[in-house]
Amino acid sequence: MSIVLDMREVFVDSQPPYDGGLRGVSLRLAPGELCLVRVPAQEPVTMLADAASGLLEPQAGAVLFEGRVWSSCSADEVAAARSRIGRVFERAGWLSNLDVDENITLGRRYHARRAPDAALAEARALAQELGLDGLPAGRPAFVDRETLCRAQWVRALMGAPALLLLERPGRDVDAGLLEPLVRAVNRRREQAGTAVLWIADAREALDDSALRPTRKCAMEDGVLRPLDER
Amino acid sequence: MKGLSQTGAWAVTRMRGLSRLLAVAWTVLAAAVRPRYWPPPVRNVLARQILFTGYEATRFISMIALLVGVAVVVQAQVALAKVGQSGLLGPILVMTIIRELGPLLTNFVVIGRSGTAMTTELANMKVNGEVDVLDAQGLDPFLYLVLPRALGAAVSIFCLTVVFIAVSFISGYLMGLLVGANTGNPDLFLKSVFGAVTPADVMNLLVKSFVPGLLMGTICCVEGLGVGPAVTEVPQAATRAVVRSTAALFITSALVSLVTYL
Repeated sequence: MSIVLDMREVFVDSQPPYDGGLRGVSLRLAPGELCLVRVPAQEPVTMLADAASGLLEPQAGAVLFEGRVWSSCSADEVAAARSRIGRVFERAGWLSNLDVDENITLGRRYHARRAPDAALAEARALAQELGLDGLPAGRPAFVDRETLCRAQWVRALMGAPALLLLERPGRDVDAGLLEPLVRAVNRRREQAGTAVLWIADAREALDDSALRPTRKCAMEDGVLRPLDER
Repeated sequence: MKGLSQTGAWAVTRMRGLSRLLAVAWTVLAAAVRPRYWPPPVRNVLARQILFTGYEATRFISMIALLVGVAVVVQAQVALAKVGQSGLLGPILVMTIIRELGPLLTNFVVIGRSGTAMTTELANMKVNGEVDVLDAQGLDPFLYLVLPRALGAAVSIFCLTVVFIAVSFISGYLMGLLVGANTGNPDLFLKSVFGAVTPADVMNLLVKSFVPGLLMGTICCVEGLGVGPAVTEVPQAATRAVVRSTAALFITSALVSLVTYL
């Protein structure tokens, strides 16, 4: 089975705008696997997701996506590879000069060159699957945090991604509202072989029996250590 | 010795900045002539840019052109009639309005109106991590942010310059009629103006409006995307963008005039 994400002894120093760093992070995700990473509430996680998606060059170690080291890929290859990564961002996450629905469909319209109507139809179907009453309208600044958080789920799942990077996807929603996301993620793991890196707060209530993580880790001060393996 | 090395270092830094800017502008041009390869959202951003920079500025440009028409065209008509040289009206208007004032003033207005907005928008996007959001989704920030803005600015400025020239001539002619200047009939006026236009003037107009527009768009994008993580860098970037765009406008304008008419 090919490995979707392979992080090998990745070291990244603390640098603006990130807080903290990564110290010897190793992680392998095969298709369909889900790694649940528990982090303390104050632990920044953007650096881990940025390193996984090749946005951050490690000082030591290597990050491979679908068997290729990010730094060895051309700009076009990097863009094509990132189009197969769905992500829920912990900070920012939205282009403020586009409406939320335009934000959600932007990647699909850009990469898959889908007509706006087709991309919107896909997004609406996903929104329904994730328990939203349609797609949120208006600029992100005028949409409440809970709806924005769930809209990020919709965007992350657009186009059957090979890898899902979920940075605290439940931070702005009630625990009960996470259920549709867990179901949707598991469906994609089974049907499309999507690999998932789910980063959650250490104290966040998550139903492990529903989430079915294949691996559990804890991350503190940039060090990732396995909790148990299944 | 220290002063000399500092001057050298300053010059090297400037030259590097200039070469980077020209490289970006060239890349914009190279990408602009291959619209088949633009993803659909890039076309949307280009259309919006032309709407904001071009269409929405039409009224303001027309108002400036109207006032310039009243001031320049009427004065020229009256002064030339007094010395019995009304036949020189066309060449003088072509020299002042088409060759110089039209492209210069239009560029000025767009730098102040859209250049600052463009820089501020992109700088805020950079500070807020929105550029990283694009990158994370595999959207090329050059293709999505820089190309449509720089190209949109260039196209808009060219179109606005044409509007400026047309409005200033029409307003000048009408004002001349109103104040009793010896304007002659419209046909004669048009013949006098367009008869003085040479192919070099058309090329001059095209280059003087399109090139500074392209440079302005590129400078504003480069300055906007060049900010660090601090929000205090945003107004500094906007100021730099205006100063550099204005310098690029005058340098380009002078160079084109020298090349075309010397």
